[in-house]
Amino acid sequence: MSSLADRVPRSVSDLTPLRDLLDHHVVGHDEVKTALLLALITREHIYVEGPPGTAKTRLAEVAARGSDLDFFFYQLHRDTRLAELVGDIVLERRKVRTDGDAPGTAGEAERIHQRIEPGGLLTAEVAVLDDISRAPGEALNVLLRILNERRFGAEPIPLMAAIATGNPMDDEYYNEPLDPANLDRFALQLRVSGLIQSGVDDAKTLIDRFAAGSVVEQPDPEPVTDRATLDALNRRMYDVEVGPAVRAALLDVLRTLVLEFECNETNSLLTDRTFLVKAIKILRGAALLAGRDAVDLADLAALSWMTTFRVPPEAHEALPRIVGRVSRQIQAV
Amino acid sequence: MTLPAPDRRTAKLAGAFVDLRTALGRVLVGQDQAATGLTLALLAEQHAYLEGPPGCGKSELAAALASLSGARTHTLVFHRDIRETDLLGDVLLSRHRHPSHERLRRELIPGPLLQAEVALLEDLPRSPGEALGPLLRILAERQALGQALPLESAVATGPLEQVEAPIDPLEPGQLDRFAVQLRLTGLLTGQLFDEAAVLLERESARRPDRATHQPDGAAYRPDRAAHRPDRAAHRPDRAGPGPDAGETSAFPGTGGPAAPGSPATPLPAVMNTATRKAAQAAAAALQIEPRTLGAYHRLLDRLRQRSADESASGDRLMSDRSFSSAALRLVRAHAFLRGAPAAAPRDLGAIRYMVAHRLPDEVQEDFDHILEELLGDPPNVTMAETGAQMPGAQSQGDDSDGAAAASPASDSWIDDQADLPAPPTLFGKPPPPAQVDPLLRALVGRIERGRIDPDTDPGGQPRGYRPLRDLDELIDADAIEALLFAEGRLPGAPRTFERKRRSAGGAVAVLRDISASMAGRLTVWSSQVVLGILRVAARRRMRVGYVEFHHRALPHHVGGRLLHRSYSRLAEQAGQAKAVGQTNYEAPLRTALEGLRGGSGRNRHVVLLTDGLPIIGDTTVRRERQLARRLGVALHTVFLGNGDCPPVLDDISLETSGLRFCGRPLAGGGLRLEER
Repeated sequence: MSSLADRVPRSVSDLTPLRDLLDHHVVGHDEVKTALLLALITREHIYVEGPPGTAKTRLAEVAARGSDLDFFFYQLHRDTRLAELVGDIVLERRKVRTDGDAPGTAGEAERIHQRIEPGGLLTAEVAVLDDISRAPGEALNVLLRILNERRFGAEPIPLMAAIATGNPMDDEYYNEPLDPANLDRFALQLRVSGLIQSGVDDAKTLIDRFAAGSVVEQPDPEPVTDRATLDALNRRMYDVEVGPAVRAALLDVLRTLVLEFECNETNSLLTDRTFLVKAIKILRGAALLAGRDAVDLADLAALSWMTTFRVPPEAHEALPRIVGRVSRQIQAV
Repeated sequence: MTLPAPDRRTAKLAGAFVDLRTALGRVLVGQDQAATGLTLALLAEQHAYLEGPPGCGKSELAAALASLSGARTHTLVFHRDIRETDLLGDVLLSRHRHPSHERLRRELIPGPLLQAEVALLEDLPRSPGEALGPLLRILAERQALGQALPLESAVATGPLEQVEAPIDPLEPGQLDRFAVQLRLTGLLTGQLFDEAAVLLERESARRPDRATHQPDGAAYRPDRAAHRPDRAAHRPDRAGPGPDAGETSAFPGTGGPAAPGSPATPLPAVMNTATRKAAQAAAAALQIEPRTLGAYHRLLDRLRQRSADESASGDRLMSDRSFSSAALRLVRAHAFLRGAPAAAPRDLGAIRYMVAHRLPDEVQEDFDHILEELLGDPPNVTMAETGAQMPGAQSQGDDSDGAAAASPASDSWIDDQADLPAPPTLFGKPPPPAQVDPLLRALVGRIERGRIDPDTDPGGQPRGYRPLRDLDELIDADAIEALLFAEGRLPGAPRTFERKRRSAGGAVAVLRDISASMAGRLTVWSSQVVLGILRVAARRRMRVGYVEFHHRALPHHVGGRLLHRSYSRLAEQAGQAKAVGQTNYEAPLRTALEGLRGGSGRNRHVVLLTDGLPIIGDTTVRRERQLARRLGVALHTVFLGNGDCPPVLDDISLETSGLRFCGRPLAGGGLRLEER
C-alpha cells in the first residue's frame, strides 16, 4: 500500500510541534515525553512515579494544553469521594400525585431522583490525577473502571488519556499501596527521578534555562496541535501492521517472563488485558512514532514501559536483555 | 422407559441457547468453561459469580451475556460508598393529609436494577458487607419493596481473593447466593500460550472500535454534553440493538471478537425475550430421570467425603439451598441445552459450574474424575462441544473439552492448599498437609484481643449511620435527608455515614528454624505454618517480618526493613527454605525484638517455629525474654516434631503471655498442631 507509506512520515511530523513544545517547557525526561505522546496516540493511560518536583504534572499539563484538549486536574487525597471526580451529585425533585392511603384523603408526594451531573473526569479529554497513591484503594475502583471502559454508566466519555502520578512507595505512612487491579489500568508505567537529584547533565541545562527565563514556572502554551490530528493518528495506528515475527517475539518475551522469571499471579500483574491486548496497541503506536508502517522487532523495547510496576524488579531490569535475545532468535529463524 | 422425543419447538428453544453459548464462547479466547457456566445460569435462572485475576475479561463476558440474551439489563459498579438509592431506586416522599393528622412517608420506587432481567454487579466485593446484605437477600428472594422482580440472573464479578487488596473477601454465606461460581484463568499466568497466541493474532487484526472511537471528538465536548442533562449516569439501558435493529454481522466494527480490556461494542441479541423465557420455563419443567437422582445422591456423598478428607479446607460450604433446588435447575438446564428429553446422569456435569467456592480446591480439580468414576461409563460429555453443534441436536461428541475443563484454575496463594508456591517435594509427592488451623485460630484470638476496634477514619468503609455533627460532613450525609434538613423539614440532623477503618497497626515476626534437623517433611510443614501466619497478618494489614535461623539469624529485609507489608514476597521466600546448620534461639529473637523495638502499640507478636534445642548462643535467651516483656511483645512458640519440647520454649511463652503449640506428625502422614 503506497498510500500508507506516504502517510506515515507525515504522522511523525504531525507530532513534532508537540514534542518541541514539551522540550521547550521541560528539560530532560525524554522517556516520559515519548511515552506521553505514545499515550495520546494509543489512547492509553500512563502512570508516572517519582519524587515530588520532577515535572510530572507539568509535562501532563503542557501536553494537554499544547494539543488543545480539555483538561481536568485533580489532586487525590485520603478523603477523595467519587463525586469530586465525576461531577456534582444532583437531586431532582418532581411533584407527583398519589392516591391517599385511605379513601377520601388527598395525597401529594415528591419523587426525588439522585444522579450525577457530569463534570471533571467525565467531560475531560486529558485527566491528570495527582498523587493517586494517596487515595484509599477502595475509593479508586470506580475511578479506574471509568478510565478503563471510557464510559460512565451507559455514556461514552471523551477521555483520551489519563496521566496519573504517584510518589515512591517507600513511605508507607502516607501512601496506600495501589491495588494491583488498579495499577493495571495504566498501560504505560514509568519511573522518573529528579534531574538535580540524579546529577545528570540536564540538571545544568534546567538551571541555565530558568536563569535565562526561557523556561517559566507557569507555562501557558498556545495549542500546536488538536484533537482532530490526534484522532487521525489514532486511526492510522490501526493501519500499522503487526507481523507474525513480532507476535512470536512478543509471545516469547512473555513466555520467558512466566517460565524463566516465574512471574505469576502473586508477584506480577501479567494480565491478558495488558500484555495480549494493549501491548499490540503500544507496539503499533511505537512504530508510528518511529515513522514506520509496520511494527519492527526494535519496537519491542516499548514493552519495558509496561513492565515497570507489573513484574518483579529483576525481571523488569532484565527486559531489554530478554527482548534482545528473543529478537536475535526470531531473526535467525 | 421411553421418553417422548423433544418436539420442534423445544429444539428451537434449546437452539437459541446453544447459539448463545457459541456466541459467548467467541467473546473470550480460552474461557469456554465460563461461557458454558453463564449460559447454564441464565437458562436455569440462577445467579452467577465470576472471579478471576485483573484483566482476564470477566466484565466482558458478563456484559456479553446481557447483550446476547436480549434481556433488559442494568449494570451497577460496586464501590465503597454505594448507597441504598443506587441499589434500590428513587425516594418517594409522600404527604397524606387526613382530617385529623398528616402522614409523611418515605418510600422507595424500584430503580433500574430492580427492573433488570439480567443484572450485572461489577466488583461486588468492593462494597462493605453492610451494603451487600440487603442486596443479596433481594437477589435470593427475587422480590423487593413488596413486588416480584423480573430478575432472571444476576452476574457478579469480583477479583481473586488476594491478600494485598484493600477489600475483605465475600463471606461463604454471601457467595452461596450465587449458584454458579466460575473462576477465570489468565492466559499468561495460566501458561496457556497457544491461546495467548490466538488472542495476539486477533488483536493484530483489530480495527478501530466504533463504540469508543469518536472521529468527531467535538461531539463529546463538554459544552455539548451540558445540553444533554437528561443523560443520567444510571439508567436502564437495553444493551445491544434488538433483533430488529438490522445488525447482521455477529461482531460489528471489529475484525474479531472482543478481548479483555477493550470496551465492547454491545453484541446483537441472539434471542428475544419471549424465546428466552419460554426456554427457561421449558428447561425448568424438564424431567429428571430417577437414575439421575440416584447418581446425584452418590455424587454428593463422594464430594462430602472427599471434602472432609481435605480437612485443612474446612471452610467450604455445601448448603441445602444450593445443592437442592439450584443444583437440580442447573442439571435440567444442562440436559435441555443438550437437547435431551430428560436429565440423564451425565447432566450432573452441570454441578461442576457450582463448585469454585463450595469445595476444597483438590476436590474441584478432581471433580470430572469423581463424576466419571461414579457414572462408570464413557467420559462425561460437557457443554462446550455440544454447544458448537447443530442447535438442538443430540450430541455424541468426543470429550475434547473434558480435559480443558478439568485443568485447574490457578489459585492465588491464599487459597488454602494452593498456599505453597512450589512446595518442596519428597519422594516425588508432597507430604499430607499440616493442619495449622488450631494455631491460626488461637493466634487470631490473641491478635484480636490486642486490637482496638476499627478506628473512625474519613477514608474508611461506611460502617453504619450516625447523626451529622458538622456541616462539613454533609458530603457524606444521606442526600435526601440533607435536602430536607436544608429546607428545615427534617426534625434533627440528617444521618451521615460513619466511616471506619481497621487500624492497620500491629506487627508479627515469624522466626523459623531451618537447621539441618528441620529437613524433609518438617520444612514443608513449617512452610505451611508460615504461610498461614502471613495470611492472618495480611488480612489485618499487619506488618510482617520473617527471619530464618540456624546458627545465625537470616532476616529477610524488604526495603531495608524487617517489618513491612510485602506479604507475597515473604510467601515466596517461605516456600524456598532449605534446611542447614544448627539451632540458635538467641540470634533470631534479638533480631526480631530489635525490629519490633521502634514500633509502638500493643499488638506485637513473635512466632518462633522450631524443632529442637538451641545449641549455639545463649540457650536460655534470658536477655531476650526480658526485652520482650519490657516491649510488651508476645513470644509464641511452636514446637514441631516427635521429640520432647525443650522447657525453655515454655518459659519463653509463659513469661510473655505467648501461645504454646506443638505439631505432632499423624500416623497417616500430615501434621496436627495442638496446644502444649
